[in-house]
Amino acid sequence: MEKRFSLIVSDTSTSQTLMELSGVRKTFGTVEVLHGIDLTIHKGNHVVIFGPSGSGKSTLLRSMNLLAEPNSGSVKFLGVEYGPGVDGQRKVRRGKSIALRQQVGMVFQQFNLFPHLSALDNIALPLRSAKGLSIKDAEERAALELKNVGLLNWAASYPGQLSGGQQQRVAIARALSLDPKIMLFDEPTSALDPELVGEVLSVMRKLAETGMTMVVVTHEMNFAKEVGDVNVFMEAGNIVEIGGRDFWTKSLSERTQQFIGSVL
Amino acid sequence: MVNNELPPINFRWELIWENRGILAKGLSVAISVSITALMLSLVLGLLLALTRMSRFKLISGVSSVYVNIFRGIPALVSVIWVYFGWSLLFGHNFSVFQSGVIALTLLYSAFFSEIFRSALQAIPTGQREAGLALGMSRLKIFRSIIMPQATKIALPNIGSMYIGMVKDTSTFAVIGLAEVVRVVQDLNSINFQPFVLFTAAALLYVFVAFIVDQIFRSIEKNFSYPPTGKVAKFLTKGKKTRIDKLMA
Repeated sequence: MEKRFSLIVSDTSTSQTLMELSGVRKTFGTVEVLHGIDLTIHKGNHVVIFGPSGSGKSTLLRSMNLLAEPNSGSVKFLGVEYGPGVDGQRKVRRGKSIALRQQVGMVFQQFNLFPHLSALDNIALPLRSAKGLSIKDAEERAALELKNVGLLNWAASYPGQLSGGQQQRVAIARALSLDPKIMLFDEPTSALDPELVGEVLSVMRKLAETGMTMVVVTHEMNFAKEVGDVNVFMEAGNIVEIGGRDFWTKSLSERTQQFIGSVL
Repeated sequence: MVNNELPPINFRWELIWENRGILAKGLSVAISVSITALMLSLVLGLLLALTRMSRFKLISGVSSVYVNIFRGIPALVSVIWVYFGWSLLFGHNFSVFQSGVIALTLLYSAFFSEIFRSALQAIPTGQREAGLALGMSRLKIFRSIIMPQATKIALPNIGSMYIGMVKDTSTFAVIGLAEVVRVVQDLNSINFQPFVLFTAAALLYVFVAFIVDQIFRSIEKNFSYPPTGKVAKFLTKGKKTRIDKLMA
């Protein structure tokens, strides 16, 4: 166990800043679900976001690729400003959301595979339309990605013919095929039967070991402990506490300790 | 003294077979009008569905008003408007065929709009979100992700609507379109056999409904996941060999 820890730990102090959120606010109707979030993600970070339901974890994750467009605040990715910006600050350069999304991969709780396409085409379609690959190149790349998640033999199968765990692995392969610089996971194992959770987590663990920058919203505390090197505890639309690897034993806030105590 | 006795009933069923050629001609007119109108209504219906879902109130309002008016109008009224009304108002005459097509399109685009709207709304939002998260454009998401799935949902309803369209062509007898009912009326004026002849018309409509149902069922098979229809299998043959090669 200790060895694996050392493999997937990232050095936060020296590495490049990938994504910077500042003052991100999000309102649904009259309810503000994010009250001005600040978070910096460095290259190679494995950020785990946890907290009680309704705390804004998923919304925060979805603001990182503008699926949930913040009402105000700055979403900066590799120096380019994508969000609406912080009030009173002048924006340097504002990128298009499609440009951001082409660099940010996302995996959903409900997999969101396209049911009318085979596993192979689920991956090949975005490769063709977002990356402009030819049919042949897209299919070859798709086959390679399926192989990496151990599902090449299922290339011709449709999502309805796959188990939940297999579907989620295809979804991960699909996101990875576009060479994202960061991967967002929105409760990737919450919709799975308990016996299928392991296969998805092991794909994610392998991905973490390659040094991929990851942001994971999860209730899998053991996985969080193992992989997370930036641990974010959220409650009621605010970040209560951010900590490193020693977070689980040394977290300062009483509320965090209480939550950790209740879920572990 | 008044003779109250009815004349003996004499059904001349052989009339149907004797006039099979002209009846078939009538059927083919009914089908040509309704298929042309089907194509146009599908296009117009999809446009109406999309505009009705627009966030611009004026655009969605206009198509909402259109749909609510035209799905309530009987085909007979529609065709009289188009055939007589149009020429009275604008001095331009549509042929009986054109009038039939336009009358049906006006009505059925309203119905198809509702079919498409409910089909489009039945697609989970996660599908669109996945497309967006994968960096696909909105147009591409609509064309390659939303529309194929919505078509599958809409197909059975389009099939039954089309059966209704074929039946509604019967009202175009009033403008002299030589479809099934008009042909039967003409035959009846010579033979005085309304029961036999209108039963023949009914049989033809039932026959068409059966065939249309079969056709739509086989189209639906090509839209199942995975497709089991012959057409889809033929079209994806190359893909299948490519996948087999990649899996080897």
